[in-house]
Amino acid sequence: MGWISDLVRGGAPRPTAPSAPPTERKRVDLRKAINAVSDVVQNRPRPLRVFDQIHMKTGDMVLQSEMIADWADGKRLAFIGDGDAISVCVAYLQTRDVLNFGPSQITVFDFDERTVEAVKNFADRERIPNLDAILYNVLDPMVPEQHYDCFYTNPPWGASNNGESVNVFIERGMEATGHAGEGVVVIADDDELEWPKRVLASVQGFAAGQGFYVSRMQRKLHEYHLDDAPELKSCNLYLAALPGNVPSAPSAAITDGKRLDNFYGLSQRPTVRYVRARKRLDYGVAHEDEYELEFLEGGHE
Amino acid sequence: MNDIVKPGAGLLFMKIGTHAKESLEDIIARKTAEIRNTGYGMWGYGGNTCHPGSMVQPFARVFADRGQTISLCMEAMESNHFGEGIADEFSADGIDWQKIPETIEVRGSRYALVIDDLHEEKFALPLDQTRVPVGPSTGRLGSRYIRGRVDKACLEVLEAPELVNEVKPRTINIGLVAKLRDPYAVFLRGQR
Repeated sequence: MGWISDLVRGGAPRPTAPSAPPTERKRVDLRKAINAVSDVVQNRPRPLRVFDQIHMKTGDMVLQSEMIADWADGKRLAFIGDGDAISVCVAYLQTRDVLNFGPSQITVFDFDERTVEAVKNFADRERIPNLDAILYNVLDPMVPEQHYDCFYTNPPWGASNNGESVNVFIERGMEATGHAGEGVVVIADDDELEWPKRVLASVQGFAAGQGFYVSRMQRKLHEYHLDDAPELKSCNLYLAALPGNVPSAPSAAITDGKRLDNFYGLSQRPTVRYVRARKRLDYGVAHEDEYELEFLEGGHE
Repeated sequence: MNDIVKPGAGLLFMKIGTHAKESLEDIIARKTAEIRNTGYGMWGYGGNTCHPGSMVQPFARVFADRGQTISLCMEAMESNHFGEGIADEFSADGIDWQKIPETIEVRGSRYALVIDDLHEEKFALPLDQTRVPVGPSTGRLGSRYIRGRVDKACLEVLEAPELVNEVKPRTINIGLVAKLRDPYAVFLRGQR
């Protein structure tokens, strides 16, 4: 766990890092970190609830980005979906020298072209060469040009399908690493509700079946802009491949109806391959259909 | 206990705002006329707690498959909000859109419930005897769910209320009721 999160959570013991940090971690300027994440939030497309896109709250994004930068320091990191834009935060915090550690390469795989373009535009504007995004639907085979060291996913949480939608995203993450890397899965974590416990059990069972084990779990870390469950939090579930683990089969399209039922919620099967972005000239500013101008006398001549 | 609040029943609870521009009586009169003239009415609402596609429709279909109808149970409250603009089109899936009939006016809302049989009916809804059956709060007791900014919910009535010592039983006084009808909830767009 990194410096900011140590500070907030009272300095929990630091686990053994997967790789030795190249330099000593410098203290994080919290103001700079929050302002950098604010830049990213400003650039982020609005969430589409119908696809279970629900944004993490900004304070938690700051903490999460630092934790993920620390965990994936010096590694090639694949994001399997990333409406939150944690990928951009992680890359940007390093570029702005708020963090002196972070992944060597970040690639976002997302089916929402608005997200893909937002990542690419931000990377171009801020000159972040190690940040990229690819339009990709998680039901299609995952065949990366080069394997990644680790993956990150905050998928649909599988409240209505016992976590199967989570398992689909994890499967793609594992494939992105050639079944030999590590992963962080962000999923619901709640003591009162039954379904998050069942999903956690399902996901851990699925991971074990794929030759991965749970190496760590950080409970109830994140809150969301989720009107219908404002108290629901999520955890970071860390997975790691067993030594010598190999994939049981090549990556294939997911077509099994049982895995797709209730994918985005009760009776919500996937029907859309890509969310396409409408090209617009007013990108990043208030849309003209939101307002009209009422001029002062003589204000418009 | 009445015909609406009985174990296994599904209902959609909603707080409804009354305000200086249009009283509850005016709203009821307007919506009753809509139903009479069109065969159904549309009750506009906003927020994300009862999203048409991911919450209301799947919830209602589960009960429709059991041969049950969903009751819309409303509690009147003072509100300063007054939505401007009258929606032009509606869609059950957000893809195929059609004109809202001229006989229906939905003001200042992103979504609408499709209703009929709107009438005044007073009864107490025991929130401790309900739970959320759909969405990320599935399983949460109605009394713990409906608080703060959460002012509407899909609920299922339980066999018995949850009995706990820490909090008093919580009931809500319902004053207005309607039936949901297929497609239960729709998306709105445009301005007439």
